[in-house]
Amino acid sequence: MTHATEPDSSPPLRLRFRVPAEGVVAFSPLLQAGFFVTARVGCSVKTLLSGQFGIDEEYVTRRITTMFLDSKPVDKMESTLVRDGATLALSCAMPGLVGATLRRGGFYAPFRAGISCKEDDSPTRAGIGTVRIKLFNLLMGELGPLFLGRGIIVTASAMEELLLSSGDLFMTSCSEVSVDAAPAELTALVKSGIFKGRKKVRLTVLFDPPVEIPEDDL
Amino acid sequence: MEKIARINMGAAGGPEVTVTEVGEYAGLGGRAMTSIIIATEVHPLAHPLGAENKLVIAPGMLSGTAGAMTGRLSVGCKSPLTGTIKESNAGGQAAQVMARLGYAAVILEGKPTTDDLYKIHINKDGITITVDNSLRLMDNYPVIAKLRGEYGDKVAYMTIGSAGERKLLTASIACTDPELRPTRHCGRGGVGAVMGAKGIKAIILDDAGLKMRPPKDPERYRDANRKFVEGLRKHPVTGEGLPAYGTNILTNILNEAGGYPTRNFKSGVYEGGSKLSGEAQAELEIKRGGKATHGCHRGCVIQCSGIYNDAQGNYVTKQPEYETVWSHGGHCGIDDLDTVARLDYLDDNIGVDTIDMGVAIGVAMDAGVIPFGDKEGAIRLVEEVGKGTPLGRILGCGAAITGKVFGVERVPVVKDQALPAYDPRPIQGIGVTYATTTQGADHTAGYAIATNILKVGGDVDPLKTEGQVELSRNLQIATAAIDSTGMCLFIAFAIMDQPETFQALLDMLGSFYGITMTGDDVVALGKKVLSAERDFNKRAGFTAAHDRLPRFFYTEAIEPHNQVFGITDEELDSVFNW
Repeated sequence: MTHATEPDSSPPLRLRFRVPAEGVVAFSPLLQAGFFVTARVGCSVKTLLSGQFGIDEEYVTRRITTMFLDSKPVDKMESTLVRDGATLALSCAMPGLVGATLRRGGFYAPFRAGISCKEDDSPTRAGIGTVRIKLFNLLMGELGPLFLGRGIIVTASAMEELLLSSGDLFMTSCSEVSVDAAPAELTALVKSGIFKGRKKVRLTVLFDPPVEIPEDDL
Repeated sequence: MEKIARINMGAAGGPEVTVTEVGEYAGLGGRAMTSIIIATEVHPLAHPLGAENKLVIAPGMLSGTAGAMTGRLSVGCKSPLTGTIKESNAGGQAAQVMARLGYAAVILEGKPTTDDLYKIHINKDGITITVDNSLRLMDNYPVIAKLRGEYGDKVAYMTIGSAGERKLLTASIACTDPELRPTRHCGRGGVGAVMGAKGIKAIILDDAGLKMRPPKDPERYRDANRKFVEGLRKHPVTGEGLPAYGTNILTNILNEAGGYPTRNFKSGVYEGGSKLSGEAQAELEIKRGGKATHGCHRGCVIQCSGIYNDAQGNYVTKQPEYETVWSHGGHCGIDDLDTVARLDYLDDNIGVDTIDMGVAIGVAMDAGVIPFGDKEGAIRLVEEVGKGTPLGRILGCGAAITGKVFGVERVPVVKDQALPAYDPRPIQGIGVTYATTTQGADHTAGYAIATNILKVGGDVDPLKTEGQVELSRNLQIATAAIDSTGMCLFIAFAIMDQPETFQALLDMLGSFYGITMTGDDVVALGKKVLSAERDFNKRAGFTAAHDRLPRFFYTEAIEPHNQVFGITDEELDSVFNW
């Protein structure tokens, strides 16, 4: 297996903590703006989501009804390939004519035919790479804990902005905080300026109790 | 709804009320009622602010009943903004109350000979019209506060702000919500200016002592309504997405698709989009003690609205909708929700269309009046509209006038009405509707995404690139029909995906009127409305040359997809071939 992305020369700061299950909403700025994950690239969108991330196939088919690969609406997730450096945005069904138009394989797909993801038979390099994931609307709460639990990479400035804008309630609800595997205190951490001069943060968040992908929606 | 009230504001000796049977307009409601009356009774070359124009106010076919989602009110006239026929609709309480009062339409006619300002009070005992010059140049929130002192809280109000009195071309008519806030607006096309030209500041609708409209077959109606509500609640859009995030749930999606018009349509992606998103908005509303889920009228089960508070927890405005957040946000290069909320409040209070107002500000920014991203400057410009300064009057007359006055080449309008929040270059099909609708650029003119269920015009292969014209035609037909029922257009998502929910809607109509309704009947109604509107516009001087997008959409490619609008004139001209 080759590594399709040059590894960053400076290792990311490793930040880890535990929050109550309802705390996932605090991470929505990171989830909707996009975060990076390391994955095997060169596979289909469906393989990435179900085969690698472990999201139930039925959930992917029925719940993630709108998806974009590099800003292009995806219709055939079984044959659309994910390349190194790609951005994959995921959403539930959307309102409005345009919401219906952007839906995967939807009846109104011809309305945006010019920007749709096309079959691409150019060589795709398989290997380990980096994919940027964006989660929108209801998927933030449902899939956010999965990705946060696995660990996501975000910019240090985005992480700092999130913590600075979080209220005291969130800060005090975080437990088992560690930085590069050493125990830390979150409020003091933000004040310490630890993010200055750093490019990336690998953030891992555990939820208490663990948050499962809802089966009721399937 | 067995009667029509005509109020002649120009009668000798003062306003004169005539109440008649519905007559030739029997069986119509909402947009069907307003458009067919205007097309039949208004001279197509009439001046929109003159005595010959009429303002028709009509509840939907099912308004005033116990049915869910039946609270849309249609207002129709010849538009002072576009010069075309116009139907503008809104939620709020007015449609339900007017329907229970028994009026299928209230038609405001003529023009007063004095500059007195009138208010109209309608209750079970009749219609009373009185002069009230104490309301002059008051804006909507203070007007409602004053009227509540006189008429109380168990009524519905329709009012115009100072923009309507000044006859600005983007002036709206405000309808109060269940909390009696003037937050639901018949916004598009300057209908508020026509009400202002008639000298009417407020309409007070009081249904005290009256009951819900009874269906012909109550049991069947109740059963159909139950199934209809179940269908709305179980659908992911109407049961989850819209209640949780409102229409602004679309910001992230349009931005990701490269279809989010940014800084006066210069780009399809806004770097500050996630800060304006429905997700961010809902989180902020909840954090500040507001609401992310709220209905604009009683009987709404989708509840796509909300309450937006400031950082201290004080009410600012209702939850701004996607188009408003876009027009004042990304279109102007502003990524601050508090600024957008303040502008939304000002629009509602002054009484202007949030789309045309926001687009006008963006056009003014493009002209260098203030820079893109100037939050305080944008607020100052809208305040100018409220003050009625010369600059404010220009901006309050919309994007088209603003563009002409300031010499801007890129002015996103069709028939002088501002484009909504979806760029027609990446999403070309919506451009077909913008160009050809009878109303001027309007995303809701082809919104009823139920054409596959209705089989309007036959089947279209969903994955073929051809057929955008056919789809737009079918959408416009379906939308004209739903606009006539008084149903909120958001029901379209559930009826598109769930045939049983569409059947429940047909059963509601059928059991209420004691008839059998089919999809073909719905299609026939939609075609009838569109044909009347097209005929009026033709007689008013509109030709195929008006059914075009502004030239820059054909010549300026937009990032990130680098597309121009590519639908040919011949294809656009074939939209209404049926």
